[in-house]
Amino acid sequence: MKQKITVIPRYGSSFKDKLYLPAIYDGVKVTFKHLFDNVSDINAVDTLEYPEEQPTDITDRYRGLHRLTQRSDDSIACVACFMCATACPSNCIFIEATEREDGHDEKMPKSFFIDTLECVFCGYCVEACPCDAIRMDTGIFSLTGNSREDFVLNKEQLLANKGAFGEENSCARD
Amino acid sequence: MSLAAILIAILSFVLGALLALLTIPVLVWLERRVASLIQDRLGPNRTNVFGFRFGGVVQSFADVVKLLLKEEYYPSHIKTGKWLFMLAPVITFAVALLAFMAIPFADTLHIDGEALRVQALPIDYGVLWYLAIGAIGVLGVIFGGWLSHNKYALLGSARAGSMVISYELPLGLSILAFIITYNTVDFNAMVQWQSGTFFAFLPAWGILVQPIASIILIVSLFAETNRNPFTVAEGESEIVAGFMTEHTAMKFAMYFMGEYIAMNTASAVIITVIFGGYQIPWVSTEMMLQNFSVFAMVLMISVPVIVGLLIKWMRKNNTVRPTVSTDSGRNFETKVLTIALLSMTALIEVILLYLAFFADSSLANSITVMLFQIVVFVVKLMMFNIFFILIRWTVPRFRYDQVQHLGWYYLLPLSLLNLFITALVVVGIT
Repeated sequence: MKQKITVIPRYGSSFKDKLYLPAIYDGVKVTFKHLFDNVSDINAVDTLEYPEEQPTDITDRYRGLHRLTQRSDDSIACVACFMCATACPSNCIFIEATEREDGHDEKMPKSFFIDTLECVFCGYCVEACPCDAIRMDTGIFSLTGNSREDFVLNKEQLLANKGAFGEENSCARD
Repeated sequence: MSLAAILIAILSFVLGALLALLTIPVLVWLERRVASLIQDRLGPNRTNVFGFRFGGVVQSFADVVKLLLKEEYYPSHIKTGKWLFMLAPVITFAVALLAFMAIPFADTLHIDGEALRVQALPIDYGVLWYLAIGAIGVLGVIFGGWLSHNKYALLGSARAGSMVISYELPLGLSILAFIITYNTVDFNAMVQWQSGTFFAFLPAWGILVQPIASIILIVSLFAETNRNPFTVAEGESEIVAGFMTEHTAMKFAMYFMGEYIAMNTASAVIITVIFGGYQIPWVSTEMMLQNFSVFAMVLMISVPVIVGLLIKWMRKNNTVRPTVSTDSGRNFETKVLTIALLSMTALIEVILLYLAFFADSSLANSITVMLFQIVVFVVKLMMFNIFFILIRWTVPRFRYDQVQHLGWYYLLPLSLLNLFITALVVVGIT
């Protein structure tokens, strides 16, 4: 049997390696090249100047801020089945159900709160939803506020968030 | 004591204090910017005063304000030696500052037969002063670590102690080799010796005359300043922050600033002893004074060229990317700085023109030469500081036993051998 054996040479025993200064010289050459290149053209540094420049590489699978979807007639797709709240590992979804008057289904949420300070953005609520009513495809990665209350999103705020990747309405309810 | 002597003494003292203290914020900023540019990042570049960023150097002043306003916290478990615990950072800081004071910033001025040293401390035994004062700095580290009553801090100061016994001997012996070569313990006389030539065409800089001692000096001074690759006393990956684990707010800032002053001092010593100090190669002070009009002409040509390159670089780099909508006042800053630089250049040109062709005052000439030498000194100092920073972001840290091994098995025999050869050669020549 022919064995494929690669012998890795051991470094550090030759006089040049023991001298240590040639290695430092090589290292300084690399770091100085980076320093010199970047100093001579600072705008070529491959970084994002964040607040002014926004990332453009957010994919459609990115789990951003939640939204509630709508049906084609702009009524809420959610039927208040509590599946998302049950699946939620951090218990941050609070739903109060009420009777539905618009002739689609029996129930709809009277109030729907998501505490984004508790949320871990795992996406289980999206997986659990039978009506495709909750989605995380807004592409929003930063939520700011001045108080803790600002981070508890209500039904209207969640409905106002729009999908960033083409699909607007619920695909399971029409 | 004449008026000129008093003026020069005040000027050199102010210059020494400024060069030691005002370079701290610049060095902290430089460290962060150079590190980030080496790692292809941008670093702190946003803090500004009325839109003036100066590349972000304002950030350091904001940091100092933050450290000053921070709560002073004293660990309650320290029962004994609290005063020494608080004094320790001051020792490190003050010692580094004092050691800097023996460095000459320009050649000795001769006014009316009086020799005036451009040195914060006008002493002619600067090397001895530096060796004596510089060695105390580590006491602050050892006291601070030991009196923290904390195992990490104690380990840090034990390591600092082990560092001292590794580098002090090679440092002293390599400087001894320079003392034998230059036949003086005066920093200024060392610089004057280096303004000559060597083998007819090489500048007689220490690095060419004494290459082995120069390398040992640089390595030992890296160890003395606690800089990478010799940051074993700090060792944040193993012992939290080493000797400064329990020091907070301004006490920490004192250690931090002391480290940068020590780096500045080490750079100043290195350039004074082995890179010709305030001299430019091949040109001594007497040559500049004797051929003053030629010197002024060369300066008049080179200053606009350097300023022009600086403005070109600034106009290219003090901008934002095309994708960013707001330029945050950078164009305005570029405009104001360009006007300031151009008017400064014009002023320098006019003064040089007057001195070179219309005035015939040896005093004005020697003052011009002095100012030029100060500028050369500052430029060299900053270049060597950048070298210190470059090394920090290039080389990984040694273990403390490796430092001892390096010191005792390689540097000490090498410096002894070098000392022996130097003595033989010097005796042979004389």
